[in-house]
Amino acid sequence: MRDDVRLVSDLSALATGALFIVGLVVLGFRLAQVQLVDAAKYLEDGSRQAARTVQTAGPRGRILARDGTVLADNRASVSIVVNPEGFQRRNWSETVAAISNAIDAVSSVIGLPPPLTTNAIARHVRQQLARPLVVWRDVGDEPIALFSEHERDFPGFECVETEERTYPEGRLAAHVIGYVGRAETEGPSGEKFNFRDKEMKGRAGLEAFYDGYLRGSSGEIVVTVDARGFAVSEQVVGEARRGPDLNLTIDPKIQRSVERQLRGEYGACAVLDPRDGAVLALASAPAYDLNLLVPRLTEEMNARYVGNHACRNRACFETYAPGSTFKPITALAGLRAGRSSTAEYECTGLFELAGMRLHCARRWGHGPIDMRHALKESCNTYFCNLGSEIGTNALFAAARDFGLGEKTGIDFPQDSAGIVPSAEFKRRNYNLPWYAGDLAQASIGQGQLLVTPLQMARVAGAIGTGRLVRPHLRADAPVETSELPFAARALAVVREGMRMVVDGGTGKLAGEGVAVPVAGKTGTAEVGRGATRRKNTWFIAYAPAENPTVAIAMVIENGVSGGGTTAPRVCEVLKTIFGEK
Amino acid sequence: MKEKLKRFNWITFAAMLALVVIGTAAIYSAGNARTEAIFHSMWKANLGTAAFGLVVYFLLAYFDYRKYVSLASVPAYAVSLLLLVVVLFVGTSTYGGRRWLWFFQPSEVSKLCLISMLAWMFGSSEEEPWKRGFRGFLAAAALIGVPAVLILKEPDLGTMLTLMPAALLMLFVARVWRVGLISAACASLVLGAAVLGAVYEAERPGVPRERKAAIMRCVPLKPHQVKRVRVFLFPDDDPHSAGYNLRQALISIGSGGLSGKGFRKGETNHLKYLPQSISMNDFIFCVYAEETGFVGSVVLLALFGALLVPCAWTAYVATDGTGRLIALGVSTLVFAHVFVNIAMSVGLVPITGLPLPFISAGRTFLVTVMAGLGIVQSVSIHGREKLK
Repeated sequence: MRDDVRLVSDLSALATGALFIVGLVVLGFRLAQVQLVDAAKYLEDGSRQAARTVQTAGPRGRILARDGTVLADNRASVSIVVNPEGFQRRNWSETVAAISNAIDAVSSVIGLPPPLTTNAIARHVRQQLARPLVVWRDVGDEPIALFSEHERDFPGFECVETEERTYPEGRLAAHVIGYVGRAETEGPSGEKFNFRDKEMKGRAGLEAFYDGYLRGSSGEIVVTVDARGFAVSEQVVGEARRGPDLNLTIDPKIQRSVERQLRGEYGACAVLDPRDGAVLALASAPAYDLNLLVPRLTEEMNARYVGNHACRNRACFETYAPGSTFKPITALAGLRAGRSSTAEYECTGLFELAGMRLHCARRWGHGPIDMRHALKESCNTYFCNLGSEIGTNALFAAARDFGLGEKTGIDFPQDSAGIVPSAEFKRRNYNLPWYAGDLAQASIGQGQLLVTPLQMARVAGAIGTGRLVRPHLRADAPVETSELPFAARALAVVREGMRMVVDGGTGKLAGEGVAVPVAGKTGTAEVGRGATRRKNTWFIAYAPAENPTVAIAMVIENGVSGGGTTAPRVCEVLKTIFGEK
Repeated sequence: MKEKLKRFNWITFAAMLALVVIGTAAIYSAGNARTEAIFHSMWKANLGTAAFGLVVYFLLAYFDYRKYVSLASVPAYAVSLLLLVVVLFVGTSTYGGRRWLWFFQPSEVSKLCLISMLAWMFGSSEEEPWKRGFRGFLAAAALIGVPAVLILKEPDLGTMLTLMPAALLMLFVARVWRVGLISAACASLVLGAAVLGAVYEAERPGVPRERKAAIMRCVPLKPHQVKRVRVFLFPDDDPHSAGYNLRQALISIGSGGLSGKGFRKGETNHLKYLPQSISMNDFIFCVYAEETGFVGSVVLLALFGALLVPCAWTAYVATDGTGRLIALGVSTLVFAHVFVNIAMSVGLVPITGLPLPFISAGRTFLVTVMAGLGIVQSVSIHGREKLK
């Protein structure tokens, strides 16, 4: 019995030892499964939960004028940022408070007010914890010097080099260039990123129209974060690349000249090459220095400039009655309707129709007058009669043939169609019938007819070359032209008339001293009635008169007359282009 | 003295020292991943505790266990019961359990006291037949039951569950009323299976709320324990809250791969994905396995084998019941901790708060285990000769 008891117990001890071994082997097998078979899966899970991908912005391309003058560029700029990982606290609100306090401390040393609200800091901590928070952007030299001196007292803060947009030519072509704001980077593969850095985004003008072209291609960095989301380290995976430069057709010499002529006025001017549609100058006054909108468009600057009605783009957004600059189109419509250019109307100085009285520019009348001289003297009576004879449809069909009433197709965000009215239009908008007087008014470019200076430059060029072009600002944009549906003989008559305008006619001041012959047409459009009655003075021209290479349209608000106010300014521009005689 | 050195079991001793070294390194890595500076020097404290543990180890090994076990078992057992009662009233709470009395955990010490008590009581079962009968079974049930209930009160289910196999094995080897023992073991297995099945039935997707509540009323578990069982049953259900710990444990162990990421380079630990509050204790194996890989895991398992199998051998060659029982009790207790701790880290058993012997940063437990192994060493040295 005794021996039997011993035997069982001893075997139990050995069995226990064997059990230990079996248990450890079981664990070994499970560990082999986890650490060998499934290791890749767990390794991936581990790196995925700790990795945050960031899309970084590439530098924006420059905008260059025709001769290489830099109109928009990037400059180095220093920002002071704070890294949230330096402020790990027990909970998020303590982290936010710690960052906020630290910003206040830095603020008192460098002398810049703390720009962020607690809410903004909290939002960053909540949404972008692994990224640095930009506190002061585009900081001047003095605060940077102060900061560098005390940098050691501010752990977590650092200076980083970034880029800001800069406009070396200041206000030159301000309306054309537009401006940029900041937005998160965009990309075709946008979804896969956890964070996106802010990059410049065009908000107006060419910066907006060619935003996708100018924008750099984005890069990628991978930030390793800890369990709470604080950044631990980062690694650049893809390098961001600079966007391509945008070359413009704008000629800074002409642009500068145009802007000089507009200075102090409310007005606009468009200069085209009528052969291919290249916009040589496009200006609107008053303008503003684009650098005032960097690093961002402030409320104040928006109120004063960008959002201000007075500073709107008059060259291709604002519309005006064309006044007498429309008369060449009326003339062409008449010729197409079979009227003879030599047929005369009697001008008594007053055109009367159904109770409406329309004065001619010359109070005492031109006497009997033909088409060429009517253009030269800008005789209202002649064109009222001609227009009334051929009718609404013929007149406005000609206007539409010149691209009026529709967008020019320019590569620019603002491209007003203007208005070519009709009976239907008038009934819909004014609930009034179309009177014979409306037609007479339209024949001399008054009434509901509205155009942009860009459209009128196009009209001038089309008369000079016989082809209508699509204006464009980008140098390598495709050229689109179309034949004008008017007989060559008809065009020759109008060209002759427009040549006579400058050669001793109402626009004689436009050609004085210009090295090449100029053809043009004045316009003085009356707007408003009574006390608010004022005149917008026009001049459109093309030069040289034979084989024109330049077409121009300029409008000055509140002028005296097209020939007196605007023609001399156009003359100065033409002298800049072609030289003085 | 020369005799004693000859019988000194060098294998288990060397394995123990190696485990202390590995543990200190793992605590260093886990502690330095934490933000709070107090944990950065935890490894030094662990070395100090180990040194103290070694002194206790050598003292217990040097003297004949038969003398001090018979002298001290009853008082030690009584004091441990008293401390278990005291801790319920004045203990410090951490993570939902009242386990701490100043600087040590009475429940850890009580494990060794109970083993020693059982060994002393039933070591003489061969000479005293009543202990092998029903009365012996009742006495054992009382000796085990009182501390077990007190520990459950803290509550510390994990400690309870590791104590049970050791105690049952000791009674089995002592040939205490086997019918009762086997019934008790089977009953607890059935109970465990029933609880698992009930939780599975209740937490299965698509179970109506009323039915779930009805089942849960019958399950004798606390809410956090139910949650752990659920994570064990459905590990992929809720990877962010309840299942987070298990998921991070698996990621850290698995991402270690074959050879590990290198000392102090475990990302899951250093980036704090591994729950910081338990990375130095219950989840220390994850820290170790991530940095040393499968190779390190196997080395660790081998060391535990080298530590525990010689203890079983000591039991086999021991000449008296007390020595045999104490060697088996201590080694089974340590093995239960090793197995459950590693198994829960790799998702083989539900997660429960349990240290990994020598590796976790538990000071009371380290000293307790070293003391227990010291007694086993004493059995190895003295157990083969008659008491003088």
